[in-house]
Amino acid sequence: MQAEQHKIEQQPKHAENVIECQNLSHRYGKRLIYKDLSFSVPRGRILGLLGKNGTGKTTTINILSGYLAPTAGCCTILGYDVRHMPHTMRRHIGLLIEGHVQYQFMNIEQIERFYAAFYPNQWRRDAYYELMRKLRVAPKQRISRMSCGQRSQVALGLILAQNPQLLVLDDFSLGLDPGYRRLFVDYLREYARAEQRTVFLTSHIIQDMERLIDDCIIMDYGRILVQRPVRDLLSLTRSYTCPAPDRFDLKTLDNLNGIYHPELNRGTLEFTATIPLGQIELLLKQRGLEIDALKSRKINLEDAFIGLTGKY
Amino acid sequence: MLKSIILKEWLKTRWYLIFAAIVTIAYSAFLMLRMHRAIDLKGAAHIWEVMLLRDTIFINSLSVLPLLVGLVLALMQFYPEMQRKCLKLTLHLPFSRMQTTLAMLLYGLLALVLCFAMSFILMRLSMQTILPPELIKHVLLSSLPWFTAGIAAYLLGAWVILEPTWKRRIAYILLSALLLRVFFVSDTPEAYNQFMPWLALLTLLCASLSWLSVHRFIDGQQD
Amino acid sequence: MKTFSKIYLGFLTLAMLLWAMPWAINFALSRPGRSPFVMYSPLIKDFILYSHDETNGLKRHDTQGNTYTEAQADSLLPTFYVRQLVTDGRWPDTLLGRHVTPHEVQRTNFSFRSNAADVNAIGVELYMLQEAMSGRVEMELPSDVLRFTPNGLEFIDMASNTVDAEKSQRFTETLKAKGFAFPPRHIASNPSTRKDYDNGMLLLDAQNQLFHLKQLRGRPYARHVELPEGLEPRQLFVTEFRDRQLLGLLCDAENTLWALRANDYTLHRTGITRFDPQRDNISIVGNMFDWTVRISTPQTERWLAIDATSLQLIDTLTISPNRGFHMPGLCFGSPTSPHLRPRWR
Repeated sequence: MQAEQHKIEQQPKHAENVIECQNLSHRYGKRLIYKDLSFSVPRGRILGLLGKNGTGKTTTINILSGYLAPTAGCCTILGYDVRHMPHTMRRHIGLLIEGHVQYQFMNIEQIERFYAAFYPNQWRRDAYYELMRKLRVAPKQRISRMSCGQRSQVALGLILAQNPQLLVLDDFSLGLDPGYRRLFVDYLREYARAEQRTVFLTSHIIQDMERLIDDCIIMDYGRILVQRPVRDLLSLTRSYTCPAPDRFDLKTLDNLNGIYHPELNRGTLEFTATIPLGQIELLLKQRGLEIDALKSRKINLEDAFIGLTGKY
Repeated sequence: MLKSIILKEWLKTRWYLIFAAIVTIAYSAFLMLRMHRAIDLKGAAHIWEVMLLRDTIFINSLSVLPLLVGLVLALMQFYPEMQRKCLKLTLHLPFSRMQTTLAMLLYGLLALVLCFAMSFILMRLSMQTILPPELIKHVLLSSLPWFTAGIAAYLLGAWVILEPTWKRRIAYILLSALLLRVFFVSDTPEAYNQFMPWLALLTLLCASLSWLSVHRFIDGQQD
Repeated sequence: MKTFSKIYLGFLTLAMLLWAMPWAINFALSRPGRSPFVMYSPLIKDFILYSHDETNGLKRHDTQGNTYTEAQADSLLPTFYVRQLVTDGRWPDTLLGRHVTPHEVQRTNFSFRSNAADVNAIGVELYMLQEAMSGRVEMELPSDVLRFTPNGLEFIDMASNTVDAEKSQRFTETLKAKGFAFPPRHIASNPSTRKDYDNGMLLLDAQNQLFHLKQLRGRPYARHVELPEGLEPRQLFVTEFRDRQLLGLLCDAENTLWALRANDYTLHRTGITRFDPQRDNISIVGNMFDWTVRISTPQTERWLAIDATSLQLIDTLTISPNRGFHMPGLCFGSPTSPHLRPRWR
C-alpha cells in the first residue's frame, strides 16, 4: 500500500503547465541577473527563450535543470519543485547540455546500452538507431572522435529514445553547421508535435527557432520583455520607417509603451512597435510629432528580436 | 542501473586499471626478485640479520606507488565527468544522486583494493619460502599505510576533482596534501600499527567529502 | 550526509591546522638550546661542565664556578682522557692513592646507553642467541634465530627457513628444567659482532622470574637468578663491558636501576632512581672509580655520580636546558616512541 502510494506520488502531476517558475531571482555574488521572473510553459508547447548574451538564458536553463539554486523563487516541473524532485521524476525530463555534451569515452552502442537501463518501459531503442543510421559513423566509433554535428545527433537520438514529457535544450544550435541544424530542428519538431511533448529551449540562432517554437520569451537585462506565442508576436510586431521631421530629437520618443529602440538613420526614423498603427500615430501626436508617411513592414523573428532588444 | 553505472566507470578506467595493476604487480615482483637475488648472493642469514638488526624491509621504494595509482585513478575516473560538465548527465539520471556518487566511489575503491591486494598477495607468497612468518608480517604491516595512502589519495582526488570552483579546489589540494603527508610521517617499519585502524577509518570517511563537492556542483557554485 | 561531510571537513581542516601551523611556527622561530657535556671528576669531587658560551665558545667549569683550561680538565678527568694524558706524558703514577696503569683504566672503562625510542621499538619477535664460547676472537652472529612460543622456544635456521627441532627441544628442556615458565614476558640481548664477548640473554619468564640463557658451543646454559625480596623487574639490559664484572642492568617497577653481578648473580641496588626506561634516555660513562649517569627527558637533564664500588649516589646535578620557543600543537611522532598516533605536544 505504501509502495503504491510512493509510486503514485512519483508520477507527473497533471498540471496545465509543465513548467512553472515564480518570482525567480538570481545573483552571482553582487551581480544581479534578474529579479522576480515568473513564467510558465503549458503542456505540449515548444517554448524558446531568447535573449542577448548575459541576460540570464543559461542561468534559467541551469535553474530549470536543477543545477543552480536560485537566490529566490521557485521552479516546478510536472508539479515538483526542481530542487527537491524525487529522482524517478527525472526520467520524464530530457536534458541537452550546451554543446551536445555526452560521455566522450563511449561509442554509440555503449551509450545506448548505458542509458537504456535507466529508462525501463519507456526507452525507444529504434528511435535512437533510426537517427544513428543517418550518421555515417561506425558503431564502435567513440563519441570523442565524432564531429560536433554527429555528436548533436547522438545527443538528440538519446533524448528521443528516452521519450520524456519535457525536453530542456540548452543552445542546441551551438557548433552546428546549417545542415545539421536543419536536421536537428526538423527531427525535434516532428517528434514534439507527434508525441505532444513540451520543449523548453534556447539558441543563439533565431532563424532556427522560428521554424520550431510555438511560444517565445524574450529576455532583456533583468526582466522578461515579451512572452507570447510567436505567431501573435509576429502578427503584432512591425518595423516602422518615416522621414524624420526637421530638428527631430530622438528623446521625444523616450518611454513610449509599445515602441522600441527608435533610431535615426540618414534622416530616416526607424523603430519597432508591438501596437497597431493608429495607436502609434496617436502616441506620436501626443509627443507633438505629426508624421504622415509612416511605413510599416512585416518582419521575421530575428528582426523582431533585434527590434525589441536593440542592436547593442 | 547500478550495473550500468559500473559499466560506465569501467569504460572510463579499464585501460588505466589494467596498466596500474600491471605496474603495481610488476614493481612488487621486481622488489621480491631483488630480495631473492640478494639472498642468492649474500645468503639468507645476511638478509635476516639486516632485517632484524637494522630495521630494513627491502620494499621502501614501493611507498609512493599506491599513492600515485590512487591519484591517477581519481583523475581518470572523475576528470571525464567534469569535462564540459558531463557530471550533469550523470546526476540527471533517474537514480538517487547519492547512490550514484557512492557507486562511482565504491567502484574505484574496489578496483584499487583488488589491484593492491594482488600486489600484497604476490609479496606474501614470494616471501613465504625465504622468510619466517614474523618477518613477512613485519614487511607487509609496514606496507599497509602506503596502500591505505593510495586509497586516501583516490578519495581525496575524487573530492578535489568534483569540486566545481578553483578557489576551493586549491584549498582542498592543500588540505589533501597535508592529509596524505600523515601517511608518510615515519619510515620506521610498523610505526603505524596502533594508528592504522583509525587511519583506515578516517580514510574511508573521506568518501563522504565527494558528496560535498557534488552538492556544490548541484547548487551551481562557480568561480 | 551533507551535514556529516561538512562536519568531517571541518574536523579534518582543524586537525591539519593544529598540526601544520604550530610546526611551521616552531620551525621558523625555535632555536634548539645546546646542553652542556658533563663528567664527574673524582679528584675535585664535583661535576665538570663543558658548556657552550655564545661569546667565549667552549667553557670548562665546575658547579662552584671555577673554570679550567683544556689541559686542566684533562687532568681532572684522567680516566676519560687517559689516551690524551698518556700521549702528553702526563699520566700520573697514582690515582686517588692507587697505582693504576692506563691499560687497567681502559679495561674498566665502559659506556652504556638506552633510549626510550629503542625500549619502545617495534621489534620483530625473533631473537639472536650468539655463541658465547666460540673459541674465536671475532664475534659472529648465529646462523639461526630464536622464537618463543607459549610452550617453548624454536630455533629457525635462516638458510633453510626451517625449525631446528632437535636444538629447540634441547634448549626448551634445559629452561624448563630450571623452572622457566613460557612464554617469556621480557627478553634482552645485544646481538652484535662489535663487542668483545657475549653474555647471552636475560629473560623474564611468565611468572616474573629472572633467567640467564647462554649458548656454549651449541649447548644451552640456563640459570635462574634469585631476585631480592620485593624486586619486580620491568626492563632488562644485557651489558657486555670489557671488565666482565656485570651481567646486566635491571630496572624495577619503581624506576630504580639494579646491577647484576656476573660472578655471583647477585643484584645490587644502584643510586640511579627515577629512571623510566620507556620515557627517559639514559647514558652511563663508567670507570673504576665512578659512573657519570645522564638521565634525560624532553624537559630536564639529570646528571648523577655513582660510586663504582658501592653503586651509591655521590652527587647530582639537574639542568633545565633552554629549549627556546615551542608552540604546542598536534603531532604524530614522538621522540620516545616509534609508534605514531595523534599526540598533543
